Amino acid sequence: MPKINLSHFEATLIFALFTSAVLGVVTKKTDAERLKYGLTSFGWFALTVFGLGWLMYFGHR
Amino acid sequence: MSPYPPLPPITKWLPVVALAWLVPGGGHFLLKRHYRGAILAGCTVIMFLLGLTMRGYMFEPASGDLLTTIIYVGGFIANVANGVLYIIARMFGYSQPDIAGHTVDYGTKFLVAAGLFNILAIVDAFDIAAGRKD
Repeated sequence: MPKINLSHFEATLIFALFTSAVLGVVTKKTDAERLKYGLTSFGWFALTVFGLGWLMYFGHR
Repeated sequence: MSPYPPLPPITKWLPVVALAWLVPGGGHFLLKRHYRGAILAGCTVIMFLLGLTMRGYMFEPASGDLLTTIIYVGGFIANVANGVLYIIARMFGYSQPDIAGHTVDYGTKFLVAAGLFNILAIVDAFDIAAGRKD
């Protein structure tokens, strides 16, 4: 079986993508609501990753 | 008064729940929610395969202090929730040590997350089968 090595950034964004998709599908009733929720959720995940990344960067200086 | 309609007979929702557990997205396919089933199946399978290729650790029930018990039993339940993916991986002898390192650690979380996705899919399929959701 192949082995892959993802960076923290890649792993968290992949996690965010699939989690947002699943949460959108199971929590909303219409396709438009699902798409909107999925994109919003992914945006918040990504924003949190960037925010925490910069916070840790400055915290380690 | 309950906000939910009365539960339909077990024969109506049990096969759906069982298939939803065994095959990610299978419950939705059985209920003719094809594209939702495909998205749920895709997300679960890809997360699980990524977890395997990152050599994630698969939990086995262990007891000890409360936190250890919760983590290991909870992790085991989430792994088993992957249904046939878990069974096949175990059948082919997949077993990785729980070692330190960010790749393995993410792999472990991906395997657990895939199981949690499937639990959400099972609950969603149950709601549809029970007439609580379209």
